Amino acid sequence: MDHKAIFDLLAERIGAGAIAFHEDPIEPWAEIAVGRIAEACLFLRDDPRLAFDQLMCLSGLDWDGYDENGKGKSVAILGYQDDGTPEPGDRTATGDLGVAYHLYSHSLRHKFTLRVRMPRDRNVVPTVSGVWPTASWHEREAWDLVGIRFGGHPDLRRMLLEEDWVGHPLRKDYVMPGSWSGVPLQGQPFSENPFAPAAPAPAGGDTPAEG
Amino acid sequence: MAIEATNGKKGWGDQDQVPGIKSELLELNMGPQHPATHGVLRLLLHTDGEIVYKVTPVLGYLHRCAEKIAEGVDYKQWVVYTDRFDYLAPMTCNHTYVTAVEKLGGIEVPARAEHLRIATAELSRVASHLIALATFGLDMGAWTPLLYCFREREEILNLLERISGGRMLYNYMVPGGVRYDLPRDNWVADVLEFVTMMEKKKLPDYNTLLTYNKIFIERTSDVGIITREDAFAYGCTGPVLRGSGVKWDCRRDDPYSLYHKFDFEIPVGMGEMGTVGDCWDRYIVRVREIEQSCRLIRQALEQLPEGPYQSIELKKPVRVPAGAAFTRTETAKGELGHYIVADGGQKPFRNKVRSCSMCNLQVLEKIGVGLMVSDLVATVGSLDIVLGEIDR
Amino acid sequence: MSRDSTTPPEGYDVSRETMLDFKVDQQLLEVVETDARNFILTTVDEVFNWARLSSIWPVTFGLACCAIEMMATSATRYDIDRFGAGAFRATPRQADLMIVSGTVTAKMAKRLKLIYDQMPEPKWVIAMGSCAIGGGPYFKYGYHVVKGVDFMVPVDVYVPGCPPRPEVLLEGLMRLQDKIRGRKGRFVAPKWVQDYAKKIPYRK
Repeated sequence: MDHKAIFDLLAERIGAGAIAFHEDPIEPWAEIAVGRIAEACLFLRDDPRLAFDQLMCLSGLDWDGYDENGKGKSVAILGYQDDGTPEPGDRTATGDLGVAYHLYSHSLRHKFTLRVRMPRDRNVVPTVSGVWPTASWHEREAWDLVGIRFGGHPDLRRMLLEEDWVGHPLRKDYVMPGSWSGVPLQGQPFSENPFAPAAPAPAGGDTPAEG
Repeated sequence: MAIEATNGKKGWGDQDQVPGIKSELLELNMGPQHPATHGVLRLLLHTDGEIVYKVTPVLGYLHRCAEKIAEGVDYKQWVVYTDRFDYLAPMTCNHTYVTAVEKLGGIEVPARAEHLRIATAELSRVASHLIALATFGLDMGAWTPLLYCFREREEILNLLERISGGRMLYNYMVPGGVRYDLPRDNWVADVLEFVTMMEKKKLPDYNTLLTYNKIFIERTSDVGIITREDAFAYGCTGPVLRGSGVKWDCRRDDPYSLYHKFDFEIPVGMGEMGTVGDCWDRYIVRVREIEQSCRLIRQALEQLPEGPYQSIELKKPVRVPAGAAFTRTETAKGELGHYIVADGGQKPFRNKVRSCSMCNLQVLEKIGVGLMVSDLVATVGSLDIVLGEIDR
Repeated sequence: MSRDSTTPPEGYDVSRETMLDFKVDQQLLEVVETDARNFILTTVDEVFNWARLSSIWPVTFGLACCAIEMMATSATRYDIDRFGAGAFRATPRQADLMIVSGTVTAKMAKRLKLIYDQMPEPKWVIAMGSCAIGGGPYFKYGYHVVKGVDFMVPVDVYVPGCPPRPEVLLEGLMRLQDKIRGRKGRFVAPKWVQDYAKKIPYRK
């Protein structure tokens, strides 16, 4: 079944919850209202005409600073400087957050892509871990790295980082940490040439001398 | 000790199994430094005696920020980091990423490059499966297969070093082709000789040594059964899915590159030694996949066309028009996917990696309940996870 | 009172020596003069160090990609057992060498320190690979990567490479053996490496 027909079926079911269909030549996608996503996913899985039995991927997205004109002028992320210290940043991000769902049906062999988008301060999405159990860890990862809360998730802890980590690293305004819980995370300045040829080679060349 | 009961069962630690003796649940940490967890995986076990009552994998001990780095470096530079996902089969990870970039950027790839990619990726897959065999045997207490498997793996690494320059991590594929053409010595002949030796001599060796070993079968059959429904629900892919009896391979069913031109079969688990989807089935799928990979290598190299091997000059940066696409390919561990959001520049705006080992590991939360601790080791070994890809 | 070595101590009967009819001391003296190789004249420290360097037991501590090369070093072709370092111990309490093979992340760094503290003295550390040496390719954006394991534990030998070949790890092991032996060896890079290194523009 082609993407437009799938979207029409979905729109029939959830009505205004299916906001728009984007006919992208490489990967068409449908925009869904945030509140209706769990319902849409359940329908997509259970309807025999659709039968999406696999959630291939669930991605958390931070749309802050995205260049809508397609010129590659998106805002640059912050890293560590050459001397090892974090780059300072005081920019407050205002862009939206989003989630993308990639579905696949093994029996009918078609794909579909859903996306939701919500303002930065209302970052709660209904969980789909009840629909596909595999979504559970993907959602935990999205909460961990992008900072999107999944309402109704049974076990929404951080997955990759420790619980007391500050911030969500894949947000565009994330400032690199200098240390965490006693572990230094910044580097040391690189000032010395390890191959400095000043000292003459010890007698005997390669063999170590008695000391 | 307060532990929430899962699956609606009463906690086993609550009842007195022997009258008068009070037993208690034990909280046991397996890892992150443990010889049987294949890296820095940490499993938090709640056990009652020898029986596992709850498994909680704790991840992140190898979280290397690859997705953040993707937003900071350009498309060609990031190939280096894909090597380090599945460091047992780096070529297959390279292949996934360059396929994703080419799909999004509309980049043509010469046929010669595709053939070389398939040959090297399949060689890499054989190497990865050899490690899977070796470490699985090691977990089961068989030390000798490790020595045999590493012997053949060194041969593969030598071959790949001759074509790419790197011994273990290659950085060989670039968007638009491969980095180097064939070496001037008779590389193709050597690969074909190795493949023949592998099929005729080595695989029967492994079968005698490990596969049909009585002790090995006793340890692995009917252990850690993943049903077909569980495999779909938890998003299992690769040999884990095929071990559950599902004839599904991304290379054939959702074809990419030139795999549709070649002739190969998809081995599935059939429950020969026990139940469909047990550890032995997942193991035998890998052994038979080695055979099929050998077939693919032979076809790819025997039909190797002449012509260019790059469509973009190496020094020219890759530009990808704005858009977003998800691409998945079959690596040695399962279906690795890249969701790339491009903004038209030289760097991706967001690059989410769908890690196959992570989804394969997730099913452990379900099937690990009720196993003995030693069977849990067998199950983790048969899932063949690699932590560099789970944590990224 | 200080005793001169030439004068016999009190109570020592010189005439008693003549009572020995088999002249042990003279025979010994003859042997020493004729064949000095029959004797090992050394200090206890050197014997201990020799024993230590001949049977270094590493802890099984694989972190990332380099761990596979560490496995390859211990497997068939390279066979680290030739250097006496093949007995990988699963517990740090039986080990005296930690090969930090791979990227040290923030979460792992605490456990690494714990494992290091559990190892009995004397103990040594090899930092294997560029990640363990200084962050490697994860320096610029690695918010979760410790930029060098020497921030956490003292390191004896650095083995560069990404990942280092098994030969390089064996070379590092031999340098560590030199260090245990008490020799101040210094690795001198081959001439072509030095010439190449001079062309690299280092930051001041």
